[in-house]
Amino acid sequence: MIEVGTTAPGFRLQGHLGRTVDLDAERGKRHVMLLFYPLDFTPT
Amino acid sequence: MPALDARLDRLQAAHTLAVGISVDSTFSHSAWASALGGIRLPLLSDFHPKGAVAKSFGVYLEAAGITDRATVIIDAGGTVRYAVGVTPAGERDIEALVAQCEAIDAAWEGTLSPAEAPPGLPDGAKLYIRDDCMFSNWALYARDNLHLRDSLPVVNVSTDDAARAELETVGGKSQAPALRVGDTVMYESKDIGEYLAKHCATR
Repeated sequence: MIEVGTTAPGFRLQGHLGRTVDLDAERGKRHVMLLFYPLDFTPT
Repeated sequence: MPALDARLDRLQAAHTLAVGISVDSTFSHSAWASALGGIRLPLLSDFHPKGAVAKSFGVYLEAAGITDRATVIIDAGGTVRYAVGVTPAGERDIEALVAQCEAIDAAWEGTLSPAEAPPGLPDGAKLYIRDDCMFSNWALYARDNLHLRDSLPVVNVSTDDAARAELETVGGKSQAPALRVGDTVMYESKDIGEYLAKHCATR
């Protein structure tokens, strides 16, 4: 697990609404909360 | 995810972009999000290379080929402020996580971007779908995930003759799915999805 206080690694992933999310593009604009989860169609 | 979608206003007020991430494809994400009642926060696909982003955060469960149920909060400076896994079968306290985001934002020095409201759909937009059609399903999922159930009416040309005739008159053909906006008709599900996202997705 990444440690608190370190710099988050950048990434660029496709989202389900058609938009790509690029972590580095949010720098200086917004905070980002990543909710990793195992699989769709399983209890949240 | 529904618990998070319900708190979207608070996340926007706290200058926070919340996203879900799993190894599933965007197609699976759309279908599942729709099944949950429509999810507006982006669900990202850590699809190829499989789990690469999860690995970079140390939350990929290699043996099972899935990501852990883990939450990472990154401030607007790019620093990790919170990183906790609860195991795949565990539960997250969404209220506590949103409160964390609010606390980080409250203590943040400097100005962050305000949330941009999308323009919304013009009056009179209508979605035409047909039975047993994968592309129609995609258009319906997009409608659900953008919370357009109350504002974008749907008609089924497979069962509604008047709707089929109307579509043929306005657009030139009765092919579905089709999105009508005034006198313009879009016939490709990709174009429909892009148009709806552009006009209705929270930025």
